[in-house]
Amino acid sequence: MSETLLDAARRAATLALAKGAGACAVGAWRARNVEVTWRDGKVEKATEATTRALGLELYVDGRYAAVSTSDLRPDALARFIEDAVALARTISPDPFRRLPEPELYAGRAGLDLELDDPDYGRVTAETRRGWAQAIEAGARAADPQGRIISATGSTGDTQVESAIVHTDGFEGTRHATDFWISGEAAVLDPDGRRPEEYAAAGSRFWGALERPEEIGRRAATRALSRIGTVKGESALMTVAVEARAAGRMASMLFGPLSASALQQKRSFLDGKLGETIGSPLLDVRDDPFVKRGFGSRLFDGEGIAAKPFPIFEQGALRSYYVDTYYGRKLGMRPTTGRMSNHAWVPGTRSLDDLLADAKEALLITGFLGGNSNGTTGDFSLGVKGFRVRGGAIAEPVGEMNLSGNHLELWKRLAAVGNDPYPYSAMRTPTLVFEGVQVAGL
Amino acid sequence: MAIGYFSRFGVTERMISETLTAALSRGGDFADVFFQHKIGADLSLEDGAVNRAYASVELGVGVRVVKGDQTGYGYTEELTPEALVAAARTAATIADGPSRPGPVALHVAPARASRYPLVRPWEEVRPEEKLPLLVDLEQRAFAADPRIRKVNAHLRDESGAVLIADSRGRIVEDRQPMTLLSLSCVAEQDGRREQNGYNVAARAGFEFYTQERLDRVVTEAIARTTVLFEAGPPPAGEMPVVLAAGSSGILLHEAIGHGMEADFNRKGTSIYADKIGKRIAAPFVNIMDDGTQPAARGSINVDDEGNTAGATRLVEGGVLTTFLHDEISARHYGVSPTGNGRRESYRHAPLPRMRSTYMLPGPHSRDEILRSVKRGLYCVGFSNGQVAIGAGDFTFYVKNGWLIEDGRLTRPVKDVNLVGNGPKVLEKVDMVGDDLEIDEGGWTCGKDGQSVPVSQGLPTVRVASMTVGGRGSGR
Repeated sequence: MSETLLDAARRAATLALAKGAGACAVGAWRARNVEVTWRDGKVEKATEATTRALGLELYVDGRYAAVSTSDLRPDALARFIEDAVALARTISPDPFRRLPEPELYAGRAGLDLELDDPDYGRVTAETRRGWAQAIEAGARAADPQGRIISATGSTGDTQVESAIVHTDGFEGTRHATDFWISGEAAVLDPDGRRPEEYAAAGSRFWGALERPEEIGRRAATRALSRIGTVKGESALMTVAVEARAAGRMASMLFGPLSASALQQKRSFLDGKLGETIGSPLLDVRDDPFVKRGFGSRLFDGEGIAAKPFPIFEQGALRSYYVDTYYGRKLGMRPTTGRMSNHAWVPGTRSLDDLLADAKEALLITGFLGGNSNGTTGDFSLGVKGFRVRGGAIAEPVGEMNLSGNHLELWKRLAAVGNDPYPYSAMRTPTLVFEGVQVAGL
Repeated sequence: MAIGYFSRFGVTERMISETLTAALSRGGDFADVFFQHKIGADLSLEDGAVNRAYASVELGVGVRVVKGDQTGYGYTEELTPEALVAAARTAATIADGPSRPGPVALHVAPARASRYPLVRPWEEVRPEEKLPLLVDLEQRAFAADPRIRKVNAHLRDESGAVLIADSRGRIVEDRQPMTLLSLSCVAEQDGRREQNGYNVAARAGFEFYTQERLDRVVTEAIARTTVLFEAGPPPAGEMPVVLAAGSSGILLHEAIGHGMEADFNRKGTSIYADKIGKRIAAPFVNIMDDGTQPAARGSINVDDEGNTAGATRLVEGGVLTTFLHDEISARHYGVSPTGNGRRESYRHAPLPRMRSTYMLPGPHSRDEILRSVKRGLYCVGFSNGQVAIGAGDFTFYVKNGWLIEDGRLTRPVKDVNLVGNGPKVLEKVDMVGDDLEIDEGGWTCGKDGQSVPVSQGLPTVRVASMTVGGRGSGR
């Protein structure tokens, strides 16, 4: 099966050269996706498909076009590639566009990252339905007073294979599986509002998934805890961001580390390599070799051999995310254009301990909209969570907002939890910031 | 009538009929087949040259089987009878009874007058014609202000078609053009950088790009970027908010539009679930969701279930009148579909979605509204928003705005998120201007992992109080 996909990529590469491209990179992928949603006692939706597509980056007479298609009928594909080559010829040349320098391909690690579950085929329709049903059951069991309006259990899994072929000889294939289960519960607040919450878990291996009943229980417990939500006061205060929610905070800091943002002058971290951006607790590496990690890989989308590298060390900025194109424009050595997994140096204390220490604080459990200006570092985000009083979780709060500037915020990082969130490649722990602007009443 | 566009891919009535028969082989109530061919073309200008081109083709088909409010779905990129029947059999497993007959006869719907007639269809526009447009925008942006340091311009166009066939025997085809032009600038002043831009979009051909429209793109992009040097965050906390006519329609999209999508109400999870027929706003508040506006990005001739898209009144005289329905929710409520069943692509089953959502003009003038505010925020440009359907809390992010002091716009503000609760905010809409504008921007709505193009509009509107996510008390 994978041989066929690699062959398809090779054929497309050969075809592109025959149609006049000087060089090209081809990516081919095929994925099986299965999703089951169970709601209030029955299957609500079941989706199953095997899907495929082909993408080409074409280098034609110093010009560049990137194209993709799901129409793989041989005649249609040949015409598509011919048109793409002609399209590339109409635009301006770009001296920075070419395949990666081959030395970047070298040194591919010989690790087994355990991304592909050999038992994928043993997961049946009944298994999936059973999980989804168990999620709802777990949610209902956590709601003895019957305040749940609607409880949903979902499962989704994919089995994906991909192949990359460059006309300079680079080839790579990849097989991966992932399994996700999630629960969603909506509850009736006596005042008429219907707060909802979710819980989710994922794994590369289905045997390693959390128990679905537990996911349902967590979703229901979280939703029930939202009853009686009030708006808190506007203030400068200590803010703890739960590990699951903290990925949103981190992504706003890491996005502007891309070489494209730097080169286009859209990064508040431009020119700050080596400088102190955060408190010493901001210490994060990019680690592509996490076993079973959601961002793990042996090579990136350009074929660059993956290796771990530091992003922040004790608050100091150590590396940018540099792809080959913008790396050439900036005269910077490529790292990789896309993050793999983040590995934070974790703290030693749990969320509860951190809240006990903080005494008076806002615990953020979710964000609602908002945005961050990557050019200036200003951000303003809708938040919900709980007021923390006397070191313990007190009333639920919502309809509130958090704002500031990242160049100040991360220096106020006062504590990091021991709880990296396992269901995201960002793997953020709980983050505690002091003196942050909260808006409400 | 015979199959038109999709006959080029070998799609026949017989193939459709066999697929629908397979789809109902286990006793579903209803089945449909959605064919899609979408050709996307993108040209981008960066660092002084149009030096990247992107092209994409999506060709595929999705088969859906509905049993009550249960959905089975399968899709494939292979438009062969075997692959279609296999996808149909996968979708059919949602039901588990005896088979039902497929359609007795299929009828291809006659062509209708399009809401997006094209003068210059994108299939006929060569890249050589598009390039100068981007180059011209860039040159004019640099010429307009010496502080401009980087300019990005991007032109996207889409062409292609969809075909929807269902177990009632209907076959509907629609061509679905789209175009979007964006101009983005980075400016520098005294070592500070600011970035912003402007974009326009429509279901139109190359003729959309008139000189007047291109002038506006440049003027707005420059103005919205350079004003940021004078702008700062507004104070934090609750205050009156005036929404400028146009893209402020994002308020409606988040505060009420999503909550009126009937799937949430069918499940009882929307804060509006039990509010039909009830007063939710002042009598001068009238809110529409409309698929009929000529060439609007959110307009559609038919939805992705083949139903004609009409103009749906969500709120009439301050009273909640109707939800936005797809086929499943319309059956559930025993009403006619409103033409809101939309999907991102053949890889997705349709859901109730908005089209162009706006408020009709009201009794107040813009000046009167601004003069009425002692101290508040005037919002002009937006980037994004989000809503929690059940709790009703929503946000939208203001990229450009002004402080209002003693009825006058005083200093510009930027990068501030506004937070409210849908029903509470609608109650607090206490002035509505007479100056409705439908925004021309390229808005995209996301729900359940599916993106669809939408439009939005608003007259100048005053909300008595919202939480402004600024900084400091400012008092």
